[in-house]
Amino acid sequence: MKKLLTGNSAITYGVTLCRPQVISAYPITPQTTIVEELSEVCADGRLQAKFIRVESEHSAMASAAAACAAGSRVFTATSSHGLAYMHEMLHWVSGSRLPVVMVNANRALGAPWNIWCDHSDSLSQRDTGWIQMYCQSAQEALDTILQAYRLAEEVLLPVMVMVDGFFLSHTSDTVDVPEAKAVDRFLPPFKPRYKISPDEPHTFNISADPSLFISFKHAAQKSMEEAKKAAVLVDREFKARFGRGYGLLEKYRCQDAEVVFFTMGTAASTAREVIEDFRRQGKKVGLCRLRMFRPSPMEELVKFFSGVKKVAVLDRDNSLGAGGIVAQELKAALYAAPRKPKVYEFIAGLGGKDITPETIRETIEITLKQGNPGSHPVWMGVQA
Amino acid sequence: MKLKQQKVIKKQPAIPPMALSLEGTRATRTGTWRYLTPIYQNKAAPCNEGCPAGEDIEAAMILSGQEDYLGAWEKITRENPLPRVCGRVCFHPCEKACNRREFDEPASINALERFVGDRAFQTGKAYAPVQPKKKEKAAVIGSGPAGLSCAYHLASLGYRVTLFEAEAELGGMLRYGIPAYRLPREVLDQEIRNILSLGVEARPRTRLGVDLKWKDLIKGFDAVFISAGAWKSLPLGIPGEKAAGVMSGLEFLRKVNSGETVDLGARVAVVGGGNTAMDAARSVLRLEAKPLILYRRTKEEMPAWEEEISEAEEEAIEFLFLSSPVRIVVADGKVSGIECVKNILGPPGKDGRREPRPVAGSNFTLPVDSILSCIGETPDFSFLPESLKKTAGAVFVNETGETSLPRVFAGGDIVDQPRTVSHAIGAGKKAAMAMDASFRGKDVAEALSPARWGEKGSLSMARYLGGGADGTAPEVVRFSDLNPAYFQRRRRKSKEKLPAAERASDFREINAGLSAAEALEEAKRCFNCGVCNLCDNCFLFCPDMAIAARPDKQGYEINLEYCKGCCICVEECPRGAISVEVRK
Repeated sequence: MKKLLTGNSAITYGVTLCRPQVISAYPITPQTTIVEELSEVCADGRLQAKFIRVESEHSAMASAAAACAAGSRVFTATSSHGLAYMHEMLHWVSGSRLPVVMVNANRALGAPWNIWCDHSDSLSQRDTGWIQMYCQSAQEALDTILQAYRLAEEVLLPVMVMVDGFFLSHTSDTVDVPEAKAVDRFLPPFKPRYKISPDEPHTFNISADPSLFISFKHAAQKSMEEAKKAAVLVDREFKARFGRGYGLLEKYRCQDAEVVFFTMGTAASTAREVIEDFRRQGKKVGLCRLRMFRPSPMEELVKFFSGVKKVAVLDRDNSLGAGGIVAQELKAALYAAPRKPKVYEFIAGLGGKDITPETIRETIEITLKQGNPGSHPVWMGVQA
Repeated sequence: MKLKQQKVIKKQPAIPPMALSLEGTRATRTGTWRYLTPIYQNKAAPCNEGCPAGEDIEAAMILSGQEDYLGAWEKITRENPLPRVCGRVCFHPCEKACNRREFDEPASINALERFVGDRAFQTGKAYAPVQPKKKEKAAVIGSGPAGLSCAYHLASLGYRVTLFEAEAELGGMLRYGIPAYRLPREVLDQEIRNILSLGVEARPRTRLGVDLKWKDLIKGFDAVFISAGAWKSLPLGIPGEKAAGVMSGLEFLRKVNSGETVDLGARVAVVGGGNTAMDAARSVLRLEAKPLILYRRTKEEMPAWEEEISEAEEEAIEFLFLSSPVRIVVADGKVSGIECVKNILGPPGKDGRREPRPVAGSNFTLPVDSILSCIGETPDFSFLPESLKKTAGAVFVNETGETSLPRVFAGGDIVDQPRTVSHAIGAGKKAAMAMDASFRGKDVAEALSPARWGEKGSLSMARYLGGGADGTAPEVVRFSDLNPAYFQRRRRKSKEKLPAAERASDFREINAGLSAAEALEEAKRCFNCGVCNLCDNCFLFCPDMAIAARPDKQGYEINLEYCKGCCICVEECPRGAISVEVRK
């Protein structure tokens, strides 16, 4: 059924369709309306789930982890400082191989105080062992939730689904909400092989001595690699069932592109229009959107970018003292590429600063015009 | 289109993906790590310790919280046959001891006791009849709260009891000392009837030494309890005391409470700062005269209970502090005024209160029509044998309440103990226990020992009879033993009072009880200090799942094979009902 929904509402519909049994969450802008609506869904019985009001995000993740270890499908959502506050538990969840699904509405981390969008919050958590998916539309956000549970439970790793704060979380779009029965066929009930239960007590997360610890981490790494394949298969099955698929990289007008604009999140939809303009001018420009950040789809990146001359990377984040994180990821992947494109790096849109068609046009023009990229990323729209 | 779910991961790894105990934790006998052992150990609540009548307030509060008010009544009356009386006139030291005082406000124990007593009365609850099975006979001299309590407990234990009373009606100070606006007569009558229903033989208008000889008493009974009270008022000791219009406050109260007409004139000076002075002044007000309380020190040092003072103030009764009468002005053989001297307060005396010192030349005279002296009462020993040892205005008793004569016990205002209803009730009960132990040939002090709640002399009949078998330790739980994180701050519900303006014309009861909703809320405010109320906290917190409900669901048990002695249960018990034992 088609509905006009904000990104957050689309997520609520998606989560409800997945029938989680436990939701524990703490409100934080711009995620709040997700758990607010979910609490209503739980309260009025549309969803048979225990909604736990916790005192902090650390507890939100801890209780989600505990419920998941007890065999429940669980959900939580957060943003920015809330995610940072969960940091310790993020490691525990992935290390315990608990298929927790969480939405993070991307928001800058203070200071200065800021509630608007950038990707620094989730990218700061890139090494916590979570699968990370970045969405571009409300429809994709809903669909990614369904895929996330399936993927998480297949590979026993947690999935973090990202939506751009306000740009996606709070704007409305037409969304096709799938039928519950169809979702049930796609996503079977969660039946973990190991769970904690008073009837059959086991200790989870017992100490692993130095001879074992590395083996657990290696096993998780292998599962992360499998997750790439699994994500492709899940997306393919999803497309067969629901008619929509996304891939790990989304490409637009790239067949003959010499310059590719590369980014994550909603900036990609703005870029489409700009790409059209360049195409009308006869310039061979395309768009590539990175949907799955972790596990890093290195092989796909190498394969795709090997035929491209120049790539303009737009990072909505910055690793202070290093540069844009997406650009670093791309450059690391390209080390193995037989033919390497020139990588032009741009930092834009931090703390919710608009990434307008003009911003994107300027980055592509710089990339087209300059023979070689500068030694440092170009910061867009910084006050002189 | 028919689609099959694809199984993405084909083969499961040989080892589990996360670190877990595959065998299950039952294989790990964590109990071997233990060197501290938590044990369920109910302890005495401070209210129980603080109740001179030895009530199991704790248990009554738990039952009231479950709306089992009749169960609560049974718990209270196991210890004290006068809950309706005490729920009105007790000075409730239990509330002073209440741990909740350190959290927000003490539980309204006294108001709840009244509610429980009144509820039992309304539902027609009475004592189950007792067949006197035992051959021993006991005599009780004086039917005040001490005598009533002693007679009740002896009768409950199956002894034959005769209750001698000099006055026409039973009740002693409860009837003749306490005004009806604090204790309605029908309440007192009903509880006395309840006590007599157990087969207590009442002999009113029988004064020892006049209608009954000590010799016959000793011969006719196996044990005697003397609870004749303290009825002799101390004289003012100033010129003019014999004039018409000078009366002791107690005599005045006795007359008013017997229904006699007393003519005091318009202005009445009430001398003293104790409860008798408050009762006398407030009764004067209700007889539509104007009382003036003269007290030699300040309000700080007044021995009357705070509630009595504040109620007198509400009734706009006038106080004149730092004033001592020195002479009564007499005209035509009648009082016409009172001459006083102003005092200043000197350093504290023996009792810790600052001593008044007269200021020379500060004399002043007030015109009054009568004077009520309320400066203290002392027992009358005239009807007691010389051989009975006395000390400083009291009959001597040892720690078990026994006098210098064998099987003669004493308690209440006639001995040296705080002159309160609840202390009197406690003394009567102690004597009943002591007589029982003595009749049964036991060591009395030893037999009384398991009955203790804490260290303040509070004794429980249930614990005496059980020999301490209820498992409750006598040690008292203090606020620091509780985990207040589990309690919410809530205002205390107090008794509603009749507006002061409506009190001056009659002796209607001024305090209303709690409503049923208020009583329940108040019962639930109780912390249940030291007593497991099955809150499940220990069960929820035990990291080894070593705690489980007992099969009878009346408590929990700890599986020591798995308890590793972390004692988180002890820490998380909101009410200090789990103790730690150090074991090898």
